[in-house]
Amino acid sequence: MYYFDHSATTPLHPKVKELMGEVGEHHFGNPSSVHVSGQKAKTLIESARRQMAKAIGCSSNEIIFTGGGTEANNLVLWNLIHQKKKHVITSVIEHPAVLNVLDNLEEFGVTYTAVGVDKTGMVNPDDVQNAITEKTSLMSVMLANNEMGTLQPIAKIAAIANKYKIIMHTDAVQTLGKIPVNSKELGADCMSFSAHKFYGPKGVGALFIKKDLKLKPLIIGGNQERRMRAGTENTSGISGLGLAAELATNNLHKTQSHLISLTHAFKAQITHIYPEVIFNGHPEKQLPGLVNVSFPGFRNDLLMIHLDRQGIAVSSGSACSSGDIKPSRILSSMGITDDINNSTLRISFGIDNSLQDMEYLIKCFKSTFERIRSAT
Amino acid sequence: MSEHIIVGMSGGVDSAVSALLLKEQGFDVECIFMKNWEEDSDYCTSEQDYKDALLVCDELGLPLKTVNFCNEYKERVFDYFLKEYAAGRTPNPDTLCNKEIKFKSFLNYALKLGASRIATGHYARLDQHNEAVLLRKGNDENKDQSYFLFMLNQYQLEKTIFPIGEMTKKDVRTLAKEKGLPNHDRKDSTGVCFIGERDFTEFLHQYFKPDPGEMITVDGKSVGRHDGLMFYTLGQRQGLGIGGGHGEKEAPWFVADKNLKDNILIVAQGHDHLDLFHSQLSVENVHWISDKSPSIKKLNAKIRYRQKDQSCSIDISNDALIVVFKKPQFAVTPGQAVVFYDGDICLGGGTIENRN
Repeated sequence: MYYFDHSATTPLHPKVKELMGEVGEHHFGNPSSVHVSGQKAKTLIESARRQMAKAIGCSSNEIIFTGGGTEANNLVLWNLIHQKKKHVITSVIEHPAVLNVLDNLEEFGVTYTAVGVDKTGMVNPDDVQNAITEKTSLMSVMLANNEMGTLQPIAKIAAIANKYKIIMHTDAVQTLGKIPVNSKELGADCMSFSAHKFYGPKGVGALFIKKDLKLKPLIIGGNQERRMRAGTENTSGISGLGLAAELATNNLHKTQSHLISLTHAFKAQITHIYPEVIFNGHPEKQLPGLVNVSFPGFRNDLLMIHLDRQGIAVSSGSACSSGDIKPSRILSSMGITDDINNSTLRISFGIDNSLQDMEYLIKCFKSTFERIRSAT
Repeated sequence: MSEHIIVGMSGGVDSAVSALLLKEQGFDVECIFMKNWEEDSDYCTSEQDYKDALLVCDELGLPLKTVNFCNEYKERVFDYFLKEYAAGRTPNPDTLCNKEIKFKSFLNYALKLGASRIATGHYARLDQHNEAVLLRKGNDENKDQSYFLFMLNQYQLEKTIFPIGEMTKKDVRTLAKEKGLPNHDRKDSTGVCFIGERDFTEFLHQYFKPDPGEMITVDGKSVGRHDGLMFYTLGQRQGLGIGGGHGEKEAPWFVADKNLKDNILIVAQGHDHLDLFHSQLSVENVHWISDKSPSIKKLNAKIRYRQKDQSCSIDISNDALIVVFKKPQFAVTPGQAVVFYDGDICLGGGTIENRN
């Protein structure tokens, strides 16, 4: 298979896979147990915590492991029900793991303002500032969007939040290993991560919570994760996350230049075979490796089936539970018409893609265009 | 290379066995799940249908893809459905769905994917006869679905296969079980696809405000109120809110007619009441499958799905088609389809315009 859907999920890094197998096999002890096997497991988790902390430039007691990015978002957002002030500022391009949570919090008195984006998909910090009310206690704006990849001005938004003593959360799941993510430079109070987006396992995530910020847990039980996330730890998953985070940040420069060169070459070559092509998102402030591209005149689901038959995995809009494609609300929010929206694909390159893979993708696009044209 | 066929996969046993048969016959088979309706509601079964389709395709080793025709369905089928109800008529969205979605949008889509023909799990048969394709009834009399296919044209039928048209439902289920298809004992779907198992009147209430009016008997006696004429179908028995007590006998009441001008619902007592029967009807939107009106004037017709064939004669003049039945027909319903047959050949049909 030729896999170009790394924003959806990534394959396990071979070293991560090896480590997880080893941990699962030899270090199955309960990290809360006092015997050697338990203590070894505990050590593995703490070492993963240090790796994750180092990857984002925070201290290890600022990291909580969760069951994924969605859970990390939920942990932060559900704290609103304990707040006196229950207004949130967010953006229209957030993942359902933020927006749907906020909708569900309405019955607990939570209200929110979702600021819009410009045609490059970027939130304007002034809009965020203008949305502040005396009831605002939280801002939640993602660091990079998963569909069109526009990088958001989080440092600026966090500065506004800090000034008004509002908690700043950013959903950063798309970013680790693709751009530098430094908790101090960004200035956010909470950040969500998900291991399977950076060549780690599925079902494990991490939440950065700034030292002085007191949050209440979402999942309550034993004393694991400083009581912030109860339940026996997923030792092999957490170890996998730790190593994946370390590998992702250690190789950041190499990965970035690889992804950028793939993206540039792809854009040049696809423009050559289909000059009407439209690239969506921001021309510069863009997640490396992610190309959101429209092919006016072609239905994206038709393109995807043709490509899939040739062993190519790309994605489009937001896939729904019955496998169909809806027009992307993210693209609509950027002012993109339904026609263009329905002709849009997301190609997201990863560290395992070679230049030859990309050229095969171009070749398949070419034959797909020809086949569809000849059938009509 | 073998012929490439795309099967419309619904998650049900009929389309599953269709795909199975084509695969066994050596065709290059690919399956597509069609999603034509979406809403946030517990009634929407498409997610479960899709999962069933996935399991079937996995068992058969066939690829499955999904295509969304919700916009097309809304524009070309559902809007018409609402417009007809608003006009006090009772439309048949399934015949239109076949014409506009399954055998147009889906067919074109499949052709663009390189298929030479599509296949569906309809109980109907196709027969090449002197350069024309004949649409015949399915062999299972109880399940024959040619009624829903009468709007199709020669081009659409040329590009179609009905692999299970020769089989009975019982045989289809037996074969599905033998071959280990996971959905072999799945319940048959009933009703209009987008309404599913929910209450029909309740569904209509989402789209129409109540418009109450008087309910009278065929003799002009007031017997109560109705909620709005669009919520009633001619021949309907339940939901009138009148017991047998209003009449001399204890017989149930039926909807006999709608007076749209004065917003009055007219009811008759007893299933055999003469005012519930008509021998003649006029047809609009007439379509002949062969493209030509039939030379014979005495044929059979059905005015609802699964009705037994009714002898009739047709008279075509000045663009009008009049059908005269040998026996009076119960609840001839404007908006519904009348479909004509010569033996087991489905000739075509149209929309019932009026009756008298």
